[in-house]
Amino acid sequence: MSDGPLIVQSDKTLLLEVDHPRADECRKAIAPFAELERAPEHVHTYRVTPLALWNARAAGHDAEQVVDALIEFSRYPVPHALLVDVAETMARYGRLRLEKHPIHGLVLTTTDRAVLEEVLRSKKIQPLVGERYGADTVAVHPSERGNIKQTLLKLGWPAEDLAGYVDGEHHPIDLREDGWTLRPYQKEAADAFWHGGSGVVVLPCGAGKTIVGAAAMAHARATTLILVTNTVSAHQWKQELIRRTSLTEDEIGEYTGTKKEIRPVTIATYQVMTTRRQGTYRHLELFDARDWGLIVYDEVHLLPAPIFRMTADLQARRRLGLTATLVREDGREGDVFSLIGPKRYDAPWKEMESQGYIAPAECIEVRVTLGDDERLAYAMADSDERYRFCSTTPAKTRVTEALVRRHADEQVLVIGQYIDQLDELGEHLNAPVIKGDTKVKERERLFQAFRDKEIRVLVVSKVANFSIDLPEASVAIQVSGTFGSRQEEAQRLGRVLRPKADGGGARFYSVVSRDTVDQEFAAHRQRFLAEQGYAYHIIDADDVGEADPAR
Amino acid sequence: METMTGTDFSEWLRGRSDERLRALVAARPELVTPVPAHIDGLAARACSPSAVGRALDRLDRFSLAVLETLVLRPGPTGRDTLLSLLGRALRGGPDDETLGPALDAALDLLTTRALIYGPQDALLPAPGVAEALEPPAALGPPATEVFRHHPPERLDVLLRDIDPAYEGGGGQADGGRPARERLAALLADPATVERLVGEVPPQARAALDELVWGPASGRLPNARREVDTASAQSPVEHLLARGLLGATGEETVMLPREVALVLRDGRVHRDLSPVSPALEGPVRDQELADRTAAGQAFTFVRMVEELCEVWGVDPPGVLRAGGLAVRDLKWTAQLLDLPEWAAGLVVEVAHAAGLVAAGEGEWLPTGGYDGWRIKATEDRWAVLADAWAAMDRAPGLIGERDDRDRPLNALQPELRRPGAAQTRARTLAVLESAPPGLAPTPESVLARLDWEQPRRRPALRDRLVRFALREAEHIGVTGLGVPSSHGRAVARGDGTAAGLLGPLLPEPVDHVLLQADLTAVAPGPLTTGLGRRLALMADVESKGAATVYRFSEQSIRRALDAGYSADDLLAVLERHSATPVPQPLNYLVTDVARRHGRIRVGTASAYIRCDDPALLDEVLADKRAHLLRLRRLAPTVLASKTSRAALVDSLRAMGYAPVAESLEGDMVVARADARRTEGQLAARVTANTAPDPEMVAAAVRAMRAGDARRQPVAAPEGDVPLSPSAVTIGALREAIRQGTRVWIGYRDSQGHATSRILEPARIEGGYLTAYDETRATVHRFVLSRITGIAEIDQ
Repeated sequence: MSDGPLIVQSDKTLLLEVDHPRADECRKAIAPFAELERAPEHVHTYRVTPLALWNARAAGHDAEQVVDALIEFSRYPVPHALLVDVAETMARYGRLRLEKHPIHGLVLTTTDRAVLEEVLRSKKIQPLVGERYGADTVAVHPSERGNIKQTLLKLGWPAEDLAGYVDGEHHPIDLREDGWTLRPYQKEAADAFWHGGSGVVVLPCGAGKTIVGAAAMAHARATTLILVTNTVSAHQWKQELIRRTSLTEDEIGEYTGTKKEIRPVTIATYQVMTTRRQGTYRHLELFDARDWGLIVYDEVHLLPAPIFRMTADLQARRRLGLTATLVREDGREGDVFSLIGPKRYDAPWKEMESQGYIAPAECIEVRVTLGDDERLAYAMADSDERYRFCSTTPAKTRVTEALVRRHADEQVLVIGQYIDQLDELGEHLNAPVIKGDTKVKERERLFQAFRDKEIRVLVVSKVANFSIDLPEASVAIQVSGTFGSRQEEAQRLGRVLRPKADGGGARFYSVVSRDTVDQEFAAHRQRFLAEQGYAYHIIDADDVGEADPAR
Repeated sequence: METMTGTDFSEWLRGRSDERLRALVAARPELVTPVPAHIDGLAARACSPSAVGRALDRLDRFSLAVLETLVLRPGPTGRDTLLSLLGRALRGGPDDETLGPALDAALDLLTTRALIYGPQDALLPAPGVAEALEPPAALGPPATEVFRHHPPERLDVLLRDIDPAYEGGGGQADGGRPARERLAALLADPATVERLVGEVPPQARAALDELVWGPASGRLPNARREVDTASAQSPVEHLLARGLLGATGEETVMLPREVALVLRDGRVHRDLSPVSPALEGPVRDQELADRTAAGQAFTFVRMVEELCEVWGVDPPGVLRAGGLAVRDLKWTAQLLDLPEWAAGLVVEVAHAAGLVAAGEGEWLPTGGYDGWRIKATEDRWAVLADAWAAMDRAPGLIGERDDRDRPLNALQPELRRPGAAQTRARTLAVLESAPPGLAPTPESVLARLDWEQPRRRPALRDRLVRFALREAEHIGVTGLGVPSSHGRAVARGDGTAAGLLGPLLPEPVDHVLLQADLTAVAPGPLTTGLGRRLALMADVESKGAATVYRFSEQSIRRALDAGYSADDLLAVLERHSATPVPQPLNYLVTDVARRHGRIRVGTASAYIRCDDPALLDEVLADKRAHLLRLRRLAPTVLASKTSRAALVDSLRAMGYAPVAESLEGDMVVARADARRTEGQLAARVTANTAPDPEMVAAAVRAMRAGDARRQPVAAPEGDVPLSPSAVTIGALREAIRQGTRVWIGYRDSQGHATSRILEPARIEGGYLTAYDETRATVHRFVLSRITGIAEIDQ
């Protein structure tokens, strides 16, 4: 019996014991073909999916390497069925290829005639292809390049896209490395993308995905369209690009709900692109507004469905996807694979952490207990009032005060959902409150003051943290707010929190009422954050005053 | 061919040593069920069509060829003649050195099994063998058969055309010999056949070549057409006109055996191989294969256990036809995360091993399951693998439809297939013989089986073999297609499988890794106790060599419901965790426990309510109230497990005046216990087990004794001394006990005094049953008519 760090389960999950001496070696070996699903403290869970295997094939790995890696690192015998499945699945990629034929234009060719025959019999493929040239080649309408890839993937025969890209309108972009340098993994990621043509770069939160995007733009030296999740990121992208590249403010346009600028580099939000009026997308022309040489998709795992459809028509342009995870809550990983492209780079997460590039925040859940009167009132409250009731208990205010006292030397953000509660907190903490109705000027003044450390504590509503460029802090305290998309939450957390100057991790407190729906939401958050590798602790409100309650 | 009388064979058999007879009986156990009375009986049975058929079915291709060659010889044949005949038939040419030893081995085998007999230089097939082999070597019938129904005038025409020396008519050749026999003699002559074949056109030769190596018959419309050499048009007509083909039906023509033998160039067989074909397939590392198979064996055992655990709580129903509904199989497959065929196999093997059975209309684990469950994994596997090997059912057919288009369900009686167990055993034996590291292809296994028992092809054999190979991989008998060392032990059936498997299985671990996302990872199979406790307090999320558990409020509550306290749970976790218990998990447990059990619910059949606590004190203090099992819930309330009516009656008897209250609020709670059935177990198949040596020896002894007894024993001269009936019966009982013979005086039904030599067997209801050696039959004697008894010299 070998003593490998890996256990291969029959349900195709791989369990990697991270404290094992060979864990790192093993992680490198399995990362190309397995998706990291959960990364809690001792055992990381990877999953071998067809897409992951095809990603591996696209990256030039073959079934033998995969099987060897599994057998070499596995502690127990690897289930035979799994090995067979790996070989069969991997053999499916690349039997079909999209190529540019010198005479016929875009064609689908095959190395296995039977496969071509099989897919051509499909009713879904027939309308996408044209004339047949010989036994192994068939014409594909250039406009269907995306659709046919999507459809072939669904049929289980993913096509390799070798048809190349248009160069797009030339625009000089250079990285300006003054006072900073491209980290090695960022360079590797940008290079891997460029050599692959199109595809997705997977980097953990806080690893500098924007810079990878900038490096990719410096490779392309062409007009670029950047699609981001919301206005906040649009601002951040713009700031980063101005800081890191030769681009000036005039060259970068924002295409959002309020501004509609189209410039050599344009940053648009998913939201504005998917806005419809009378059933039609009003901003589709943006895709044709310029001859884009590169399209960057930020947070690919959040890419909304309409953008996929639009992307299907953009297959001749280079596409770069950036994300922290390939796992999508809607299960559309296949569309990412066929329309954006295969995974081109996956960061050695643990290494980056050990080299100090990223420092995951520490999450602390503070439990407050409702008084007897409150419990009775809670039990009698209508179900739609319950959450508000339990999440705005006065006990939370007291705990928040104690927490703010504990971090007397740090910049603290207090985040909440209910205005009354925030006003009360602001009063108790003697801190300014930013809400939806706070004037923009006032808002910017306060943020600047916070950044300049003139103000130490800032109370913000959820509305505020969505709509504007929230400053960074080393401590955040969330007192109320339901748990929306788990990934979104984690992302926001990563964005707001930065490692402290002394190298310690940032802290994220959630103040939660015990035995209420508040705690149920917290349980979901706990699971997700722990799976993401954040340290997670629970403490009692009574312990907050102690020197280090997390221990 | 010379006809054999049974006597020669019988005498030969009698002349064999006891040892050889034992070998015969061991190889053909059906000859002694029941044990024949004597050697003649054995000989008769050995020549019966069914017994010969079964013996032939067991022969490999080469031994069968030897026997066919011998049968086709006109008379006693020596070993060397056979050697030269077979040499011509060899694929490798007559110089193949393996032939001689192979022939000797085959002759020894055939002689041992009494399929041939006689001295080495004059061997004969045993009576009945030739008939059972008909037609041998895919030959057509002899000419006399082919032309039996030809009218005499047709034979005349035929003979005149091909036999210049023929003189005769009306079906009689010269000298009064039937024309048919003359024709047969002509066709047996190689020179004549060669001459005739030389006369026909090439297409006719080609037609002949088609039939030479069998099948010897062909279809031809209007086969009985009248043709002669002059009028023959088509190639086939040329053959018919020369007797090279004969019409045996309106649309059938047949190649006479004699012609075929000549055309086969003196060979009976072609491409004969004296040794079995080698297994083929990829070669892998045997050690890796063993490990892989062990991993699969481990998984399979776990699947069966999981199945029984789930069925114990939530049993599926038994169909009216006695199977498992398609829906239930699907559900089970989902549960076990297996394809349906594999789930069907798990269910069938569990059933065959007696771990699940039908009881009360539901499929439930048996009491045997509880015994199986506590064994070591390797022993559990051995039980399953043995049950599978002996199973006379074909799980591979689940989901298909029978001849009447009804679905074949798992566990249904119709899944029995004659030959399933035998085919599986044969397949296993072939796997067992594979060289280390070889993963035999199904095709080469089938080729081997074809060679080993060419006559034995049960229905679906090829499919059954493929099923067996697939199942072997799934059960862990093979790994990566290579027969594993423990799998080979199952095939040998020598009970060493568990011992070989044990060291290959992952060592049970007694610790888990607890994580902050509320999961526990067991990095290997858990020791049974820990596994059960964890399964109670957490839900299984991922299975395999390792197990991933997830703790949730529900799962912790389940453990608390089962009687654990928060401290117990945390103690278990702390003791078995390789790392500190993560703080969120600690919180989860204490949180759930804090709220657990604050509201208490119990069962009571009736209650006593009284506003005056003093009166209830009185009731409780009363000795007679002990039987009522009263419990005070509150100062003014007593709960009782007795029924309301009984409670009222008892209280009245105690001198109180209770009033019954309405039943509202009365409730009965019953926990759903895991259930077991005592229902019928699957019949364990014991086929294919060789008879044990003692049984064989006893059978041979009995037949020899029977032989000896056949010599009638005359009663001694003189009269049997009279003896009192008590003495007579005592002596008879003693004789039964010791198995000795006695001499008795007996008055027959006419009142005549006779004397007999008996071997008494049983005394029952005034009768003695005994073997009457004087008359060589078993007879019943009236005890009261036995006049006297005496011992005789043994």
